[in-house]
Amino acid sequence: MKIKMIPTLLLTASMAMVTLANAQAPAPAPAPTGVPPTWAQGRSADGMNPALVPNPSPLVAKPVNEILIDKLKVPAGFKIELWASGMPNARSMTESPSGTIFVGTRFPGNVYAVVNKDGKREVKTIAKGLHRPNGVAFANGSLYVAELSRIIRYDNIEQNLDNPPTPVVVFDALPKDEPHGWKYLKLSPDGQYLYFQIGTPANIIVPPSTHATIMRLNLKTNTIETVATGVRNSVGMDFQPGTKELWFTNMGRDWAGEDLPNDTLNRLTRPKGMNFGYPHCHQGDWLDPELGKGRSCDEFDKPVLKLGAHVSPIGLRFYTGSQFPAEYKGNIFIAEYGSWNRSKKAGYQVVRVVLDAKNNPVKLEPFVTGWLQGEEYWGRPADVQVIKDGSLLISDGEAGAIYRVSYGK
Amino acid sequence: MFCRNLKAILVMAFINIGSLISLQAIAAPDAASGKVKSQTCFACHGVDGIGSSPNIPHIAAQPPLSIFYQLVQFREGMRKGGGMEVFAKPLSDEDIRDIAAYFSALPPPPAKAGDATKVAAGLKLTQQSYCNSCHAPQLQGQKQVPRLAGQSIEYSVLQLRNIRSGTRVDMDGTMGSAARGLSDEDIEVLAIYAASLN
Repeated sequence: MKIKMIPTLLLTASMAMVTLANAQAPAPAPAPTGVPPTWAQGRSADGMNPALVPNPSPLVAKPVNEILIDKLKVPAGFKIELWASGMPNARSMTESPSGTIFVGTRFPGNVYAVVNKDGKREVKTIAKGLHRPNGVAFANGSLYVAELSRIIRYDNIEQNLDNPPTPVVVFDALPKDEPHGWKYLKLSPDGQYLYFQIGTPANIIVPPSTHATIMRLNLKTNTIETVATGVRNSVGMDFQPGTKELWFTNMGRDWAGEDLPNDTLNRLTRPKGMNFGYPHCHQGDWLDPELGKGRSCDEFDKPVLKLGAHVSPIGLRFYTGSQFPAEYKGNIFIAEYGSWNRSKKAGYQVVRVVLDAKNNPVKLEPFVTGWLQGEEYWGRPADVQVIKDGSLLISDGEAGAIYRVSYGK
Repeated sequence: MFCRNLKAILVMAFINIGSLISLQAIAAPDAASGKVKSQTCFACHGVDGIGSSPNIPHIAAQPPLSIFYQLVQFREGMRKGGGMEVFAKPLSDEDIRDIAAYFSALPPPPAKAGDATKVAAGLKLTQQSYCNSCHAPQLQGQKQVPRLAGQSIEYSVLQLRNIRSGTRVDMDGTMGSAARGLSDEDIEVLAIYAASLN
């Protein structure tokens, strides 16, 4: 009897376990075989909270009563004000020598000009319906705009802001991938090159050799060349005064951790041949869980500074003005658009990086905060621009606005 | 009780004054005002947000941001179809927010039971094709991404075909990539499965 009962008990117990397992996990879902949305690529079943999804890109500008300027905090002695609004998805900025601010967007495809007229600012929409016109640069009276797969030019634009000319197509043979396809654009100090990135067309893959690069277009010969590789997606660049080196932000991969890998600040110390590690090594010292196998971070060039995971650094500028206190001279301001692939939001601020005499970062601290209230954001800083009077403009891609930070008075 | 009401009235009065004094300000989304502004919509989309014929989408219980995005895209000429460009043209951002608040608060369209084999095939394909990543676990939509649950089968089929052919351009290419590899049969079972959800 005793012996007989044991198998029965075991059978009953195992049946109970089977029932329990069935109750917890019904029919297992079939493995995905289709094309994942870009943002979900690289998401593993055992990884982070799978319910995280990207923030929607805005199509309209916020009305001024929803631009919570009073929530924005700046260091003592500084002041922040709403400088211009009504520009859906205002992102990258550039200033012409006469002081016009040109602003690019990802959605809905507009380019804006902000002009000073009798002491008041006026926003003009100078282009509509372009395809991701995120990059803007100004040279010799012309506005260059980088769309997703081409670079176009508006000649004599400042004389024709109310009736802009048909743009000249400068270069139209760039890849047409939508993911990470929008471009940042930066004119070199000698005026001969336009620098831009070709982002990786996914979250984490071995990209084609054309992608995950920083490129430049020679404006004299109209040819492009690769400047750096292993750069996942850089949507902000600036040249350091003096050294004339290119410094740029780079977005780290998603779905590898809440706090890893870091987004980074990078410096181009050699004009060609640097490789910053993507997709094998991230943040200079962290091998990719999959694509890092058999590789070493020693193979690659290192970033200058880790900025935090998922903070999404976009625009950066060296402070070249004389309005801010002396210790701000040569500092770097970086706009952090803010996270989505993280349970607790990070970024949504403008940070300040202080460099020592040897160009090493010695301090990273918030400069403007307040777009994030608890876990809700109302604005997202996208780019920064030091203007002629020495104040700092900050574009807000969510609110469709530009703020001005000034010191004293 | 009286005190509580008084407090509520005072709070409301304060909010109203607040919105009166700031120029260029717009009020929070208002479903009641949205209903008034939606009179033109009702002929086709119904006062209950249920389309009056199979080629007209149910917009009841769509996420408010999804309605907002579609109407802005119609207004800006980024999406065309069903004459919606014309209806969306005169709407302000505030109008669209109110309209979205009205329709999103309505009860969802009823589930439509379909052929069990096709529903099962649609469920399997949905899971294989990452549909839930954006459209949420029960295809109820989220943020700017539309609800597909309970949607008219004919409408879903037409939209998927248009996205596959490029006739309808989505905002960032995600749906274009997703639809490219679908056969007509795939599209049919996806639409039947979506319609079977509530």
